[in-house]
Amino acid sequence: MKGLGTLATIWSRPAPPVGTTPSDVIHHENKWRLLRYRPRAAGIVHETPVLLVPSLINRHYVLDLLPQKSFAAYMVSRGHDVYAIDWGVATDEDRYLTFDDVCDGYLGRATRLVARRSARNQAHVLGYCLGGTLAAIYTSVRPDHVASLLALAAPVRFEDDGMLSAWTRDPRFNVASLTGALGNVPEGLLQVAFKMLRPTLTASKLVHFLDKAWTDESLEGFMALEMWGNDNIPFPGACYQRYVEELYRNDALLAGTFTLSGLPARLENITCPTLAVTFEHDTIVPWPSAAALVDRVTSVDKQRLHLPGTHVGAVVSQKAATTLWPRISAWWAARDAAAGPADDAKATRLASATAR
Amino acid sequence: MLWDRFKKGFDAWENTTAGYLEKALKSPTVLGPTGALLSAAMKAKARADRAKTSFWAGLGLPTKRDQERSLHALNQLESRLMDLEERLAEKK
Repeated sequence: MKGLGTLATIWSRPAPPVGTTPSDVIHHENKWRLLRYRPRAAGIVHETPVLLVPSLINRHYVLDLLPQKSFAAYMVSRGHDVYAIDWGVATDEDRYLTFDDVCDGYLGRATRLVARRSARNQAHVLGYCLGGTLAAIYTSVRPDHVASLLALAAPVRFEDDGMLSAWTRDPRFNVASLTGALGNVPEGLLQVAFKMLRPTLTASKLVHFLDKAWTDESLEGFMALEMWGNDNIPFPGACYQRYVEELYRNDALLAGTFTLSGLPARLENITCPTLAVTFEHDTIVPWPSAAALVDRVTSVDKQRLHLPGTHVGAVVSQKAATTLWPRISAWWAARDAAAGPADDAKATRLASATAR
Repeated sequence: MLWDRFKKGFDAWENTTAGYLEKALKSPTVLGPTGALLSAAMKAKARADRAKTSFWAGLGLPTKRDQERSLHALNQLESRLMDLEERLAEKK
């Protein structure tokens, strides 16, 4: 009966408190911001900071969903120095933003800024979904400031049997005419496309929601995830065009023909420790598409973690907090330990970064 | 009990239907015309936009595209300045 009462509050509930882990903006450029989550009171334990790179089409707060379901807060609590890119919302003039502007320009600056705050002048880079693709491309061209690459459900092989691949490869879909007419790809169009990946998902979610949402916590979690899922952002036009034409249609990343600012972006050039996390029931990025990263990089220290779950659920669920998150934290900690302590002069930078 | 049976049946229906829909949505007979329709609609919109643009340009007024280009150029300029600041900071 209490559960029924909880469920009945769905209409009168305030919006769930998403993205509330305390953070400071340490850089702002065009629409994107670089956030630093405030370190825990006990201080930072791990020398190398962590940079979270979300997908370009989703809000960054998926990695900081709710106070009790926050990947970022968990990493802070484990003593990591955590930074995240918030891509912001592209507006009309951003139709001219190219893939190079975003990947080499914005992601590059974020990586350098975070790395500069560390004793080793490097950062662990975690990219989620398209953010992982961006991170892999960037690392393949400019590896200097990347201590390790963690690709979370990040597509690398685009020629797969997934729906997105089939849709974007159809020759009668003219990408140039889409971006020419609309500029940025509107969030509404992206959302419809994602819903069409599994049109029955809304009904399925509703039934499973009735099964679980009898407690405040489950109801809030469901609402937060739905809020995030319906909170897409426009995709900068020129960037989208290259993404579809070169990555989806030509599979240029795997073919080794993709370039970043005129330089070849070959996955074989990645030599830093690399971890690719793939999910068994991922319909947005089928797992073989994400697993290809580990096959291609030439890192001595590389591994793939294959887990059950879906593209989003497996990253933000309560189960993720006890399975995936601790493994990621341990993976970073082990890479820090393997790298050994930073020299004393540089270590003072870590201390000052902690104080800032 | 009744709910569990319903859920079992629902899950079976959902899986089957999703499978059929996926096949249909990936089929060239659906994708082809949809892609062509979308492209045609986009081309028509672009033509209408061009007509509006030439009207405003004919009056000697800046168009939306002009403003977008200017704003983008300003943003690029800001980024270049930041690049320079970064290089200076590195040299210090």
